[in-house]
Amino acid sequence: MRDVLHILYYKILIFLKVNSPFNFSAIFKSTGSALVYTIFAYGCFVLTQSTIEYLLVNVRIGSFLLHRFVLVVLFMFFIAINVGNMVVSFSTLYKSQEVFHLFTKPISFTNIFLIKFLDNFFYSSATLLLIITAVLLGYGNYFNFSFWIYPFILFLIVLPFMFTAGAAGVIILLAILRLSSKWGIKKVLITIGLVYVVGIITFYFVSNPIKLVERVFDYYPHIDQYFGFLENSSVKFLPNYWVAESLYWISENRIERAIPFIYANLLTSILVFTVTLLLAKRWYYQTWLTSLKISSELKTQSNDRNLFFGFDKNSWVKGFDESILKREFWLFFREPSQWMHLLVMIFLITIFISSISGIDIIILKAYNQYLKTIIFLIVSLFNVFLVASLSLRFVFPLISLEGEVLWKIRSAPIKFDQLLTLRLSIYFTVIFLIGQLISFFSNYQFPAQLAIVAQINAAITTITLVSLNFGMGGIFANYKEKNAIRLASSQGASITFLFTLLYLIIIIVILFVPVSNYFYALEEGTFISIWYLMSTSLILLTVGLFISIISIRLGIKSFTRDV
Amino acid sequence: MLELINLTKKFGNFTAVNNLNLKVKAGDFFGFLGQNGAGKTTTIKMISGLYTATSGKILINGHDIVLEPIQAKSLIGYIPDQPFIYEKLTGREFLYFSGGLYSIDKKKLKIKIDETIEKLEIGDWVDKRTEEYSQGMKQRITIASALLHNPMLLVVDEPMIGLDPQSALIVKNILKEKAQNGAAVFMSTHSLNVAEEICTRIGIIKDGSMIFSDTKEVLETIKGSDHSLESLFLHLTK
Repeated sequence: MRDVLHILYYKILIFLKVNSPFNFSAIFKSTGSALVYTIFAYGCFVLTQSTIEYLLVNVRIGSFLLHRFVLVVLFMFFIAINVGNMVVSFSTLYKSQEVFHLFTKPISFTNIFLIKFLDNFFYSSATLLLIITAVLLGYGNYFNFSFWIYPFILFLIVLPFMFTAGAAGVIILLAILRLSSKWGIKKVLITIGLVYVVGIITFYFVSNPIKLVERVFDYYPHIDQYFGFLENSSVKFLPNYWVAESLYWISENRIERAIPFIYANLLTSILVFTVTLLLAKRWYYQTWLTSLKISSELKTQSNDRNLFFGFDKNSWVKGFDESILKREFWLFFREPSQWMHLLVMIFLITIFISSISGIDIIILKAYNQYLKTIIFLIVSLFNVFLVASLSLRFVFPLISLEGEVLWKIRSAPIKFDQLLTLRLSIYFTVIFLIGQLISFFSNYQFPAQLAIVAQINAAITTITLVSLNFGMGGIFANYKEKNAIRLASSQGASITFLFTLLYLIIIIVILFVPVSNYFYALEEGTFISIWYLMSTSLILLTVGLFISIISIRLGIKSFTRDV
Repeated sequence: MLELINLTKKFGNFTAVNNLNLKVKAGDFFGFLGQNGAGKTTTIKMISGLYTATSGKILINGHDIVLEPIQAKSLIGYIPDQPFIYEKLTGREFLYFSGGLYSIDKKKLKIKIDETIEKLEIGDWVDKRTEEYSQGMKQRITIASALLHNPMLLVVDEPMIGLDPQSALIVKNILKEKAQNGAAVFMSTHSLNVAEEICTRIGIIKDGSMIFSDTKEVLETIKGSDHSLESLFLHLTK
């Protein structure tokens, strides 16, 4: 344990950068970052508070349904941390140079695993923790929590929940690699992927939030009571249920009823973490060797000359464009972390689209324009959020990833703006198409006018978010980092994510009144022109162009800096 | 071919290169020597376009690297000291990629790549991904990529690092041949015997300033029969 503490001490020193010299630009950057974090946290605080107030006072969904909504959000949150940890842990536990270095030292494999696991968990969850803390403050402030309740919820409910999700992700990763040595990586990935998909779909079928909303609304207007008896009992064994229930009872000021759920959540977290360490003790080194074997197998497959889109083949593009397109294509598809992450994201998007198909029922059952507006806004924000996630993961690292061969690019007779625009346009095209597909499938059940405007707005927000991530990726470029996943979870990426969330708030502000008035007019049967809704597109376009032009200029300019 | 005029580079308050003036003609093989941190790599990075100078000019065959970067860079072949190349591409693919950056016609490029592969004796492993390469293999691919467009100026930073004696000999011969065929070679090195063996002109930089720059013949006169380049270098840079 001493060696773990020793290494963690130096990791904290590195994090705090206590040895870095006084540097105005570094201080400016840090102050700027701190300011962004603070403003963002305050924004989250206010938004959470006003959203809860709006849902409980205006829409009148009742505290029980509010916490079922929290339950669904927590489920997605769990999946995001779980999948995120699986992917990022593969890089940190198996591909990191630090692991190679530590293996040569007299430190046990379990301790190395523990160091990397904690490093990974806190590194990739830092921003999430900030968001959660701000949301928790907003939530608690609405329900007038006592001061001590906040750390109580954070440390005894939220952190154990996140820890369970992260540790479970690592267990799955260990299992994948362990089984791969017997059955081969492809078979194992397909099997575990399918089990995972079935698990998520089962959750939706079992919990059936839409059905629950319908059942609860049968009691309208007496919906401000506990409706736990309407729920499927199998959901009660899930950590997200325990957290949602704990929060419900704490908000009702009946903490004694929350204790069993808190206890179950905490115990599960300790149990899952213990299992992770036990498995790591037995499997970590073996699976590390397996990962090396898989890498070397993939390498030996690489001796073949390419048949399709090969560098030596003639193609429809020539010279510089050909070089860049082919490089981009092969580097992406030969790097498993890139295409696997894309597959995971496409899978999550598919789940989202398939679950959104039930939205029709909600719209029909929605009893006033406020609820309809909320449903439309939630769908729109999810769309934007998915596009933002794709942009952060694949566009943000673009400029930094040039670092590997920057000496060749910067010394070649090429125009950097041409190079970066070409690369950006490749990723933009893919994300734009995905964004348009998501928007179409999630909005087609709304009235046609609204669906058309949503489609246009999706196009505008995609342009804005891709540009924003490109520019921020340039400002926070790290040419020494070759790992796209680590780049997408760096400090710069976190700040970009916060900007994205601020942008989401701007979207809500722009859309809220026109969409609400539109639903009101529909209810009243009065005429409302599509141009009224289109005004939102015009405002979004103005904001988007402003952000995009500045971001792209900053991104390109950053590339000309000394390296 | 290469002209440095009052070239200065500052990083904050630190002056890495101080008012450097130099001319390297076609056919010259210029050896650029200096201690660690003397300013060699900074100078080379400015010549190859990686750094912008704080003041002064760099002319490549009359083209200013800042004002006419495309024209200037199309004449340069740059070989860095740390040959990072895309790990997921094969050596041959990297050569095609590099040729594409100089817009070389595909047919001509294919011929040139085959010639270069033969010359550098890298045919056995050029179709493997570079993640399998040793440092020396990567270095040879880097050198090959710098030769594809027949540069008039080769800018080379520590070319012998990681090379085995056979590879080092091949590289030395290629660089000498380039200079003999009329290209200018600007090479930084710590290896004094290599500089003595293949360079026609030697420059020594200390604390960012050029403290010696002349032909090898002049150098021979200065150091005399009983002195080596090593002792002269140590004396000048003390």
